[in-house]
Amino acid sequence: MELLLGLIGVVAVFALVRSFLPARTLPAGAALGAVAVALLAYDYRELVGLEFWSGLIGFVAIMSALMVVIHPNPMVSVLFLILNLFCIALFFLILDAQFLAVIQVIIYAGAIMVLFVFVVMLLNLKTEEGLRLGGGPQRSGAIVLGAAFAALMFYAIRNRGEAPYFDPGPSGPGFGTARDLGGLLFTRYQFAFEAASILLIAAMIGAVVLAKRKLR
Amino acid sequence: MDPAIVRVLVESAVKIALFFFVMLTAVAYMTWVERRVSAWIQDRRGPNRVGPLGLLQPLADGIKFLFKEEVTPPHVYLPVYLLAPMLIFVPALVTFSVVPIGPSLGLLGHRIALQIADVDNGVLIVLAFSSMGVYGVALAGWSSNNKYSLMGGLRSSAQLISYELAMGIAIVGVLMATGSLRLSDVVAHQIEHGWNALYQLPGFVIFLTAAFAETNRMPFDLPEAETELVAGYHTEYSGMRFSMFYMAEYANMITASALAVTLYLGGYHVPGLARLGLPETAAALVQVLAFCVKVAFFLFVYVWVRWTVPRFRYDQLMNLGWKGLLPIGLAHILWVSFLVLKGWV
Repeated sequence: MELLLGLIGVVAVFALVRSFLPARTLPAGAALGAVAVALLAYDYRELVGLEFWSGLIGFVAIMSALMVVIHPNPMVSVLFLILNLFCIALFFLILDAQFLAVIQVIIYAGAIMVLFVFVVMLLNLKTEEGLRLGGGPQRSGAIVLGAAFAALMFYAIRNRGEAPYFDPGPSGPGFGTARDLGGLLFTRYQFAFEAASILLIAAMIGAVVLAKRKLR
Repeated sequence: MDPAIVRVLVESAVKIALFFFVMLTAVAYMTWVERRVSAWIQDRRGPNRVGPLGLLQPLADGIKFLFKEEVTPPHVYLPVYLLAPMLIFVPALVTFSVVPIGPSLGLLGHRIALQIADVDNGVLIVLAFSSMGVYGVALAGWSSNNKYSLMGGLRSSAQLISYELAMGIAIVGVLMATGSLRLSDVVAHQIEHGWNALYQLPGFVIFLTAAFAETNRMPFDLPEAETELVAGYHTEYSGMRFSMFYMAEYANMITASALAVTLYLGGYHVPGLARLGLPETAAALVQVLAFCVKVAFFLFVYVWVRWTVPRFRYDQLMNLGWKGLLPIGLAHILWVSFLVLKGWV
């Protein structure tokens, strides 16, 4: 529990510092990372095996997501987003969903993020352009919502009781493999699967029509 | 700790160390092979001064690279500039870890698979890491802050996205015939039913073409086209950092060749070996050797094609990928599904 509270505290302090000072992001991130690793090391007796790893991956995921938003350089933001997607793939992996983990890397980290990199490279965005928080309502709104979310997290952790930090749930042999998932997709979830494919092909044709309108 | 876990850890560590040694040596000697074969094709002599037949040339090159000054241009974006060579080198090595190089072997009373990781999603992991390779090239181009580098990076990302699709579609044919994503199952299926290249020739050709494009090799080396872009994405790199790009190219070639062998040419399978009745260890050694010979053949083809086919123009590259390989790949999937439906493979 101290661990999660510590993490939220670290993140909150980091966000506060960053929003008021145009500080050097990387040294600040490294220092806060060191603090969090120290917290993890202190608390590791309570976190064994998968719990420890889920805590570590969760921390990296949160920090990288934070860096996506606050880093002044758009390309570095994209890189941290890739790191974040990798962390999510690792979460799938420790939940025994190995197929989803690899697909997450192929589709999101591999294909979609390449397009992001492509666009950032082509647009040649200026550093810090439009990245400062707007004043007035935006900042106060962010603070109120952030405080509400922190309170919610705090409440959830306080009422955790004896539940473990991390519970992967039941999973039999073959769980999460391509065979298992494919079987479910083509039997129980066939309608949703086919509906999604129709939606995707409609979107694809729409994109082609929009992009090629001038050529007609 | 549990002795079973210790055993797995030790076994994997030994395999990984061996694999690193073999892979890096192979990469070093690939540079020698490339220069010698290029010279042979062009009726020159090639490097023949350092050691017999120039065999110590890679060593001399390595020492030279280590002592070269690393020039960091002042206008680069340093964190990404330093990260890019690693991002291109690591996926090239990691991909090889799921490729089986031989049958499992009885040694010191244990069964040892000649493969670092026999994972359930082997083929997908190959695709995942080959799609990671593009970041190294794209980011090297972007962080160099140089027009030529940026053009190289852009070309490479467009090229890799286009040809990854063709490669994936070619692999789908193999997966449908095998019914498994595990690379050791793919090899086992080919041992039983004949090599995939025999009845999936279009898929094989598409895979090879896409592999050439993914490794940025000659007909597709637009990201580093020296007549237009100086050296493309690695223009601003020097010393050991440049050599990481250089080594990654050869590591990628070796991995792509090993995959082509595993997916289409029966992996380590030697036809008719079972009838000879060799002892198990000897048979395994012959099979590992056969795997190496097949991979070496593909590496030779890489060099051969380099001096045979001229570089594509950019629009030709895109046309070939999207209007050529992709439709043929889809038709090929229909053909393989027909074979599978009839139960012929």
